[in-house]
Amino acid sequence: MIAENTQTQMRKGILEYCVLSIISRGEIYASDIIAELRAAKLLVVEGTLYPLLTRLKNNGLLSYNWVESTSGPPRKYFTLTAVGRDILTQLDQTWHELAYAVGVSQQGAKP
Amino acid sequence: MEKTIIINIGNTIIHIEESAYELLKSYLTEVKMHFANHADDLEIVTDIENRIAELLTEQLGQQKKQVVDTETVNMVVAQMGKVQDFETSEDEGPQPVLEESYQYHAQKKLYRDMDERIVAGVCAGIAHYINIEARWVRLIMVISVILGGAGIMFYGLLWIIMPKAESRLEKMEMKGEPANLQGFQKNLDEELQAVKERLKVVNQHAQPLFAQLGTFIGEFFEWFGTFMSGTGKVIFKLIAGFIVFVGFIFLISLLISLAAILGFYDGNAYHYFPLSIINYSYRNSLVFAVFIVLIIPILALVLFSIRVAFNRMAINKTFSYALLIIWLGGVAATGYYIAKISSEFKEHAELSQSVELKKMTVYILDMDKSMIFSKQDSLEYQIDQYDKNRIVIDNPEDNPFSAPRDLKIDIEKSDNGKTSLIQVYAAQGKTFKLALQNAQNINYHYQQKDSLLIFSPRLQLKTESNWRAQRAKMTLKIPIGTIIKIKHNSYRYINNYGWDCDSQEGNTHNDYSIWQMTDEGLKCKYELDHPAKTDQQN
Repeated sequence: MIAENTQTQMRKGILEYCVLSIISRGEIYASDIIAELRAAKLLVVEGTLYPLLTRLKNNGLLSYNWVESTSGPPRKYFTLTAVGRDILTQLDQTWHELAYAVGVSQQGAKP
Repeated sequence: MEKTIIINIGNTIIHIEESAYELLKSYLTEVKMHFANHADDLEIVTDIENRIAELLTEQLGQQKKQVVDTETVNMVVAQMGKVQDFETSEDEGPQPVLEESYQYHAQKKLYRDMDERIVAGVCAGIAHYINIEARWVRLIMVISVILGGAGIMFYGLLWIIMPKAESRLEKMEMKGEPANLQGFQKNLDEELQAVKERLKVVNQHAQPLFAQLGTFIGEFFEWFGTFMSGTGKVIFKLIAGFIVFVGFIFLISLLISLAAILGFYDGNAYHYFPLSIINYSYRNSLVFAVFIVLIIPILALVLFSIRVAFNRMAINKTFSYALLIIWLGGVAATGYYIAKISSEFKEHAELSQSVELKKMTVYILDMDKSMIFSKQDSLEYQIDQYDKNRIVIDNPEDNPFSAPRDLKIDIEKSDNGKTSLIQVYAAQGKTFKLALQNAQNINYHYQQKDSLLIFSPRLQLKTESNWRAQRAKMTLKIPIGTIIKIKHNSYRYINNYGWDCDSQEGNTHNDYSIWQMTDEGLKCKYELDHPAKTDQQN
């Protein structure tokens, strides 16, 4: 239970960062984001993604375009906004710091 | 084989099996509930719906199917993820917000329960609020209605004040249930609306009173309509059934009496007043006509009641028209006979006859109720006329319909010093001749036994003659100075004289009063003997 909680906490933080990273590579559709996440073995269900995307969009990190689809309703294709890129840079920074912190924590400070 | 439903999801038309639809619906409901407190609930739900629509379309294309089944839905749901998985992954956890709303909904509110209502759900609503069974509240309400009817006012007031629980949410608030997922089983739109209402409208019950009143009136009539088509219908049917029952008994008894009058009854009834007017030859036809006039409306009422009670026509149109025509025929025949009989009262004839009586100084005037029979009557009633000790007493003379007793007795002064009785018989008839004939049909009896004059109180008509207003007037002419004792039972026929002579002193023990014929007519003997005293009294 405690392990699960911690895992959830860790994943939660990373998920947002990963999603932003994926979108930063170019305009993308939500289910393709899922596919990318799956490929990265960050298992997540689609239902989780939509609230996240909506929140990021409303916070001004993302914007989307409607693109006609051959199989069904028009799709929302997401891109990063300038604000989003800015924040992603900050997050990259944070991630490196964290990765360093984790590495040091696990292997001990290199003399 | 399974029923297919066409749904519109994410602006896409999809055919879906009913069971698959149920599954999808419950999933979407859960999703909506999950995001209900989310700031962007509509957008998220729309996104998810769009995605589901896309996945379904994709799956149909891949499987080369036309209809979505449960398997496909399960697959799609697995891909979208269960709601529980949303919670663990979503960083801005909606959970705490939902818990807050749980508490908010756990508070009970007073609503009218439209699902368990008898009239308007007031009692059921109160019962939910104070958490007892509705029947006890209803019992109290019924008792208060019976005891003075204050309950009706109270109920009406509550009907106006209490809002009705319409949405699922309001029903839960009414019952004090937390707004959990299991509770939400209604269709998508209603659910969405209920959720939004919960978020937006907290104080929606502050409706203006007149709007509530309008709702009240509308509902009242709706309820009344339901009552009339439900319970009211049952009551009408019961009444109709009762009418059918009573009507049948009435019809049968009418039929029996018709048969009795036409076939078996010996006709004695026709000797008595209203029936004695009817001519012998018309009798059966008239009885039959009257029978038709009476029976057909009753029959119609019974048939109509059958229609009300059992919801079907007992007879067809042709038959009912036939009945109407027969009834009109009956009315016409009755009218014809009545007119015909009335015409027989047109002319008037009198027959007068004077008889000299044995001269006495004192007469006693008496009435005798015993019937005096002609030889023919005696044979008919099998009375041996030589059996002197037997007396047949007439039926009670007080019965007004037994025979109109048009008998009048006058006592007048005789001019020639002889005692005589002038008998005048009168009757009506269609022509003078017939009227005279009717007058001659009168069989009137009186007897003189020395000083005793006995009159019969009634006229007898000869057999098979009809009542045509036959009257008899007996004028007794007595010389001046003759004393006449009038028995009490004769007073009513002698309308000139009354009881005033009777009350005089010295006359209290007799059943007659004493009179004397003077030059100025009949006078009370007591007054003649005591003139002074009478003056003083006057």
